[in-house]
Amino acid sequence: MDWTRGSASLKAARAMHAYANPTRFLAIAKPLTPWLLGVGLLLVLGGAFAGLTLVPGDYKQGETARILYVHVPSAWLGMGGWTSLAVAGLVQLVWRHPLSGIAARAIAVPGMLFTALCLATGSIWGKPTWGTWWEWDGRMTSMLVLLFLYAGFIALTTGDAGGGGGQRQGGSLSRGAAIYALVGAINIPIINRSVVWWNSLHQGPSITLRGSSIDNALLWPLGLTLLGFSLLFGAIVLMRMRRIIADTRVAARLRRLADDEDG
Amino acid sequence: MAGVISGDGQWAYVAAAYGLTAVMTGAVLWASWRAMAKAEKRSDALRADSRRSGTPRGDRK
Repeated sequence: MDWTRGSASLKAARAMHAYANPTRFLAIAKPLTPWLLGVGLLLVLGGAFAGLTLVPGDYKQGETARILYVHVPSAWLGMGGWTSLAVAGLVQLVWRHPLSGIAARAIAVPGMLFTALCLATGSIWGKPTWGTWWEWDGRMTSMLVLLFLYAGFIALTTGDAGGGGGQRQGGSLSRGAAIYALVGAINIPIINRSVVWWNSLHQGPSITLRGSSIDNALLWPLGLTLLGFSLLFGAIVLMRMRRIIADTRVAARLRRLADDEDG
Repeated sequence: MAGVISGDGQWAYVAAAYGLTAVMTGAVLWASWRAMAKAEKRSDALRADSRRSGTPRGDRK
């Protein structure tokens, strides 16, 4: 038997469960939230300022190409949000980590926000570029499906514990909601490859692992807005997790008070 | 050049995209912060109340 390997997986499991206790999690989340918020806002404002004033317009699309600096981070976070949500669902199903369900529920609203922003800013960009607000092609339709998936997940996890909804005591997910999160992840590679698989008005992939087809003169503010919006996304997730934990604690105390009064 | 988008109207689309992003992101940030502050205040008040009355803590889970 390979004891070294067993020990490594044991260490990994211990590390994962070290923050299963909400009190330990809050000791990190509370000081981290204002930092994510502050640095995220600074980066977004800096990136937006640079994108609107410092970089030149695109040689073909003109000034409308500046929408890139809010559209791309929105698409990234809409898709990244569901990927994180599916991972949290998997962790909840396999290891029953108490914070994973809370994290999945906290991710859903900002994930839906950025998916909606991706669709809206893409539509605004599409009108002057393509001559239409909307086209039922692979990229736009699969992104719209992602928006509906988020709405379904939020509806599923908003139901109360006793009504067979997706939320359980302690803020964790029901088995059905966790499986829904995993099944919905099928849409992520479809969105990513849609511009390659099907004919689309949408341009092909501009940034890949092999490099970028966008000139460096236009690219650098995207790094700022991408990181800034990611930090804001993290701040929203932490704030929503803290709210769920606080609500769970209040519910637990009220139950104990009621039990004491009955006893 | 053929196919080049030009004209002053372009800035209206840019402003709409940035404005919408700022308003929607700001609204979710504000709502999340407010809900968190309210919930934590309620939880802290209830915990303080429980300590005063000698009721066992409810967060040892």
